[in-house]
Amino acid sequence: METIDAITLNHYLLTGAALFTLGMIGFVARRNLIVIFLCTEMMFQGIVLTLVAFSRYHGNFDGQAFVIFVLTIAAAEAALALGLVVYLYRRKNTLDAEAWSDMKG
Amino acid sequence: MVYAIYLAMLIGAAGLYLMLPSPRRRPVVLGVLLGLGGLAGLMIYLLDWAGEHRPTIYYYAFTVIAIASAVRVITHKRPVYSALYFILVVLAVAGQFLLLEAEFMAFAMVIIYAGAILVTYVFVIMLATLPRSSHDEEEAPLYDRAARQPLGAVLMGFALLAVVLHVIFAAPGEIERPYPAEQGLAVVQSVPGRLSEKKLTTLLRSAGLIEKGEKVVAVDLKAGSATVQPVEDGQPTRTVTIPEQLAGAQVGNMDRVGLNLFESHTLGIELAGVILLLAMVGAIVIARIVVKDEGAEEEGTKAISA
Repeated sequence: METIDAITLNHYLLTGAALFTLGMIGFVARRNLIVIFLCTEMMFQGIVLTLVAFSRYHGNFDGQAFVIFVLTIAAAEAALALGLVVYLYRRKNTLDAEAWSDMKG
Repeated sequence: MVYAIYLAMLIGAAGLYLMLPSPRRRPVVLGVLLGLGGLAGLMIYLLDWAGEHRPTIYYYAFTVIAIASAVRVITHKRPVYSALYFILVVLAVAGQFLLLEAEFMAFAMVIIYAGAILVTYVFVIMLATLPRSSHDEEEAPLYDRAARQPLGAVLMGFALLAVVLHVIFAAPGEIERPYPAEQGLAVVQSVPGRLSEKKLTTLLRSAGLIEKGEKVVAVDLKAGSATVQPVEDGQPTRTVTIPEQLAGAQVGNMDRVGLNLFESHTLGIELAGVILLLAMVGAIVIARIVVKDEGAEEEGTKAISA
């Protein structure tokens, strides 16, 4: 595998950073629980792109192996988070994150 | 010149702020124009910065698709459409992986994310969204129509992005490469006979280097040669030199990822299996309900008796 130069690497880092930030903005600004978790998946996309770009830059496959672990965590997180969303929806019949803002302590 | 990034980020932030859902009327068209302006400014800066070393046009196409769909994911008022736009983000990122010669990762992303995870999301959206009769957006519940502190979120997010990009583009010098390159190939070559002899037999036969019926019984990649067993038993074996392009062709992206995964991250794989099992058990426990199907049973008996 031929490695890429630093300029090309920076291009992919830009895309990864943009995806991560947009996911983070959505995570903070949206109120629908499902969209919030969708935004965490989008942050994963940015991270995964950065990992693969660095893997190519270094000519080393550790980055791509890590992507597999990120995918594993994403799948586990999706299963658990969506289970929680269904549970919370049954409790209050709403997907609004603000409905749970009285959980304190 | 690097401060042009901050200008592009400011325009983009204003656009995204106007695009985020709000119960009050906002000039959304202006927001879209500003957002496109910010994206275009970033791309123009990138083209100017890269100079002669520009990547292929596909990079720009995939990046614009990914960022535009990502904006749509966080601005759309209906979660189903957010999920569908997220699939577009995944496909664009998979395209970037193809450009980075990570073919296995590209297809894994499409299959696992767009295929499995997003289907789960769509199912939960259908389970947990109140039915709506008309397509009028005003009927969407308030939590889909109103963002929570959009100004703060957008300002914080774009400030972070601007600083990160500043660091990336203004960094002096190259990032060091302290890791051994070509790791996967090194692993293959350090353990002779690891590559399947069957595959090599097929490759050598199609190259016309061995006769039909002859089989490769041993491979020495370091010396670049293979030991070949003739058709009939008892005859002496002979050695064939493997052409260079064939030796390279044998180890693809998938082989190397697999070798790296199982050589260096064996414990990680075991742990990943445990995590997946835990997640499965946890999801079942959390989402479990005691199903009361008495009504259904009665209806069933009615249907049978009728």
